[in-house]
Amino acid sequence: MKKPRVCILRTDGTNCDRETAYAFERAGGEPHLVHVNQLRAGEKKLTEYQILVIPGGFSYGDDVHSGKILAVELTSFLKEQLQEFVDRGKPVLGICNGFQVLVRTGLLPAARIGDIKTTLMHNNSGRFECRWVYLRVENTSCIFTRGLAGRLLHFQAAHGEGKFYTDSQNLSKIEEGRQVVFRYATSNGEPATVYPDNPNGSLNAIAGICDPSGRVLGLMPHPERFVDLVQHPNWRRQQFREPHGLPIFRNAVTFAQEM
Amino acid sequence: MAVVEIRVANHPYLTDPAGEEVLYEIKHALGIDAVQKVRTAKVYRFEGIDESAARLLAEKLLAEAVFQDYTINAPIIKDAPVVVEVAYKPGVMNPEAASLMKAARDLGIEGLVAADSSREYGFYGQDINSQHIDVILERLLVNATVERVVTEKPATLLISGRPGQTEIIPLRGMSDAELMELSRDRLFLNLEEMKTIQQYFRNIGRDPTDCEIETLAQTWSEHCGHKTFKARLLVEGRVKEPLLKRLQEATFAANHPLVLSAFVDNSGVMEFYDGWAICGKVETHNSPSAIEPYGGAMTGSGGVFRDVMGTGQGARVIASTDMFCFAPPDTPREEIPPGCLSPHYLLRRVVAGVRDYGNRMGIPTNNGSVHFHRDFRAKPSVIVGAYGMLPVERCRKGQPRPGDLAVVIGGRTGRDGIHGATFSSGEMTHRTTEVNASAVQIGHPIEEKRVADAILAASEAGLVRAITDCGAGGFSSALGEMGEKTGVRVWLERAPLKYQGLRPWEIWLSESQERMIIAVSPGNLERLLEICRGLNVEATVLAEFTSDRRLVVTYENEIVCDLDMEFLHHGLPKRVLPARWQQPALKEPQLPIPDALEDIYCRVMSHLNVCSKEPIVRMYDHGVQGSCSLAPYGGVEQDGPNDAVVLTPLLGSPAAVIISHGLNPVLNQIDPYYGSLWAATEAVSNAVAVGANPGELVLIDNFIWPFPDEESLGALDRAVDACVDFVRATGMPFISGKDSLSSTYRGKDGEVIKIPPVLCVSVFGRLPDVKRTISSDFKGTGNLIVLVGQRNLSEMAGSVYYDLYGYLGKNLPRIDLKTVTRVWKGIFRAIQEGKILACHDISEGGLAAALAEMCFGGGVGAELNVPAGERPDYFLFNETSGCFLLEMSPRENPGKVLAGLPHVVLGQTRDNPVIEIKQEGHHLCRIALSTLKRSWKEPMERIFGTPGEAREVG
Ligand SMILES: [Mg+2]
Repeated sequence: MKKPRVCILRTDGTNCDRETAYAFERAGGEPHLVHVNQLRAGEKKLTEYQILVIPGGFSYGDDVHSGKILAVELTSFLKEQLQEFVDRGKPVLGICNGFQVLVRTGLLPAARIGDIKTTLMHNNSGRFECRWVYLRVENTSCIFTRGLAGRLLHFQAAHGEGKFYTDSQNLSKIEEGRQVVFRYATSNGEPATVYPDNPNGSLNAIAGICDPSGRVLGLMPHPERFVDLVQHPNWRRQQFREPHGLPIFRNAVTFAQEM
Repeated sequence: MAVVEIRVANHPYLTDPAGEEVLYEIKHALGIDAVQKVRTAKVYRFEGIDESAARLLAEKLLAEAVFQDYTINAPIIKDAPVVVEVAYKPGVMNPEAASLMKAARDLGIEGLVAADSSREYGFYGQDINSQHIDVILERLLVNATVERVVTEKPATLLISGRPGQTEIIPLRGMSDAELMELSRDRLFLNLEEMKTIQQYFRNIGRDPTDCEIETLAQTWSEHCGHKTFKARLLVEGRVKEPLLKRLQEATFAANHPLVLSAFVDNSGVMEFYDGWAICGKVETHNSPSAIEPYGGAMTGSGGVFRDVMGTGQGARVIASTDMFCFAPPDTPREEIPPGCLSPHYLLRRVVAGVRDYGNRMGIPTNNGSVHFHRDFRAKPSVIVGAYGMLPVERCRKGQPRPGDLAVVIGGRTGRDGIHGATFSSGEMTHRTTEVNASAVQIGHPIEEKRVADAILAASEAGLVRAITDCGAGGFSSALGEMGEKTGVRVWLERAPLKYQGLRPWEIWLSESQERMIIAVSPGNLERLLEICRGLNVEATVLAEFTSDRRLVVTYENEIVCDLDMEFLHHGLPKRVLPARWQQPALKEPQLPIPDALEDIYCRVMSHLNVCSKEPIVRMYDHGVQGSCSLAPYGGVEQDGPNDAVVLTPLLGSPAAVIISHGLNPVLNQIDPYYGSLWAATEAVSNAVAVGANPGELVLIDNFIWPFPDEESLGALDRAVDACVDFVRATGMPFISGKDSLSSTYRGKDGEVIKIPPVLCVSVFGRLPDVKRTISSDFKGTGNLIVLVGQRNLSEMAGSVYYDLYGYLGKNLPRIDLKTVTRVWKGIFRAIQEGKILACHDISEGGLAAALAEMCFGGGVGAELNVPAGERPDYFLFNETSGCFLLEMSPRENPGKVLAGLPHVVLGQTRDNPVIEIKQEGHHLCRIALSTLKRSWKEPMERIFGTPGEAREVG
């Protein structure tokens, strides 16, 4: 089957683009690194791609708020392209800084560019932290986690602004709409309420959410950092059937191929 | 034009982690209890827009209604008794300003001419007095070098100024006293050097410009010229070859087949696999970090990354390392010399600087260490390393050709870091902070990331003839060196400036960060500029390479510098320096054999030089780039320390890079020869412990020394002798290095503080298959614990164990290089054959610390037998490097696997999480793993305590 073209969108300060491209290669996609300037200049168009990813990093230094400056740029210049991409049901993935960008465009949780309904605040610890955390996959219609519901995944979190926060009305909407895809968990799979299992103080231990259609996904931890076994800190002492990040990228590729 | 202010704060009912962090510091670092709460707000200022535009900015950009409020031209923290705003000083570039301008433009806001941001703190508590606030500001929130308290709204955000003039210095007619007055605090040259310059200008019949004098002082500075390392030494009546020459000749004689470039480029290069090479560079940034630790550490990281980026025709940075030496964080305030910052503050701010630069650039920081000794209280040592990957075909230093153009890319030039190179070379005195305030600045990692991306694209397109970074000495150093063999013609007025008002020599010498120079043939210029445009990188043709071997700099048609390259680079008088090392008068203590070891074991584990540094490592992104396949901490609870980092930088390929290091300053106080052997041995042992092939490792040296008076130079001479002997005995070459010989403090009252001399040896190497590397965590129970290596147990001097009793001692570990070389080979072979389940090398804290750490990683206990006749305390706490603890399956025969190597089976791993130590059936120690772990973790957790740790979500 033809490899779907994956747009890995980068800009000043993006720094997880290469390993995200590698993850899509491993999953059978055809990744392309695309600079936001190329989209703004019209040299490239989002319509040329089947999957859109905003990878991790510190876009524009995370000045003002993490991901904010890029979110403003996207909503100012690429609003129509982006909204059309989402409206056509093509998969969109935001990892770490990419999640922050999606939230700050409004694409998460509502799939609509515009109002910002949720946010990612500074970690309760007040600092950047890098550690492996457990994520429980919730039972949702998210296309990225097909076949993974109930599983406990181990990913690296590496961020300073990852505390998921929203008001109670939006929170219940997201919960009732089954838009919570990942929750920070203890090693027993229980939602993590305290540090460090919940590394940042996120409400309801929320680590990742999707839009109502399940095709736009954002999460703070880094699935692209576990697509080879040797990327896990304990591969020398633990057995894994397959690296935990790989199925997420494979699901996206499969979904795009079947579209 | 009016300035509009927008203030943004979190809703009062939500957490404010920045405020809580400050509160934590106020309570724990300053011991002030009167402050009960701290809230923070951001203050943004915009010039040239009206209130409605400000409202748009507030709502679309600055404040998110979900969790924040904002005000325009009005206070936002209204209920706090004290509110203080802290901002960067004018002229210190605020990295956020450019983002504010960009986002405003993207939102279609017109007329904006300048933007700035700062932070406001509200302090709550009825008993707060002005003294409290002064202490909080001075010691916690305001570094007067770069920051200030804002008391009134500024009338403008623009920095104005007219370009300054070039001055002629009447050098030819100066007396010796006048020459030295000119040199003091500005040039840092000695009289002989000043007179050599005077003679040069007498010969050519004119007086120099300020620019010429500054260029010479920078090129001839200790920092750039390495005068001491290039001088011949007079040791006890015998003339010895220069230190640098000895090191380089040892490398040359070793003739290592994998070395591609040694000592000639910005970093050393060795062959990797599949047409790739790896390179490494380690730098120090002591002086700037001592006066502004955050900015100093940031620019230190930025500088060493640029060294790697500027290797060959451009390299990609794949790893960062950090090694620090500080005084103990609890050193009483009154023991800190005037003009120096507290080690608690230094440690936290240096870590923050390394964190923010590496994380934002996306470079994993995954190897490092922190060492503590009281004599670092005036001058800390801050060492940062970087490693890179580049194709073999573009790995050798480039040479510009006449007609090539020099393009400066990246950041703009400001007054930052003027005199950084000469400043680093001078001794630190109580005058230092006042005179050299301009020598530090705030780094801008995103600018450097853009530059890094542009370099890789230009390099891949084959556009780079030669490349170098603007580090110490700025354009002067970069262009002066690049054009040494050809000559170069510089148009200084073309340099993009951060603000007006710089004199030509200031532009020329400025050490503004994040700038690189690329030499490009004229035919490739357009493509290079296009790549830079596409990545938002400013690029400007600044100079042309000529063939007259002159350095000619003009500023708007006025010649401000015209120097002969020969005189500039080779006119510096060669020195012969006296050196004499004298064995210090030290005694060996007579310690009683302790009855019970539990207490002393805990104290060893909680010693600052042994304790866990995990809270620091957690703040560094060590997983970015997806390449980390042996993390700094691993094991069941991910808190077992590993000896080295293993990276697989070519994703999908098993080819691995191994990086480690070693240093032990306190041993150099006893004998720098054996202290240096220890450092090199420890560095290599760390790599071998994870599976490195000792035949495929290369070394980097960093000497951080007190000012080279006769005695310190004698110590340096011995340290270099040790390095040379190490290369000869092991065949491992040094391929890059750096010296920083100014770590002496002289106070007003005659107080002199010399640091314990630091030799940091860094090691990197390659391995074809990452699967054949191992970690330090015990893998199971009932497995054998085997000690490998040769130790003389009476060699306890400099150990943590002695230190706990307040002794230094005299009899230090003397590493036998023959034996250790055999041990390394044997361990490598055994790991390759899959016979070793876990391995950890012995260093500070001795065998006992290594054992505990392996148990922590494995979550298992151990039972150990001290051989009959040995002193148990020495057996457990001796720190001879080059020795290893191994875990082996009971099915293996250690006698066979380790045949020919000194080794002894000490015991077994146990299910019960307890460490039990016996000798001839007698109990010496029985201690729960959790007790030991608590002791080991507590010291750094106290310093880096996480304010939100215990709190529930919300
Ligand atoms: Mg070690």
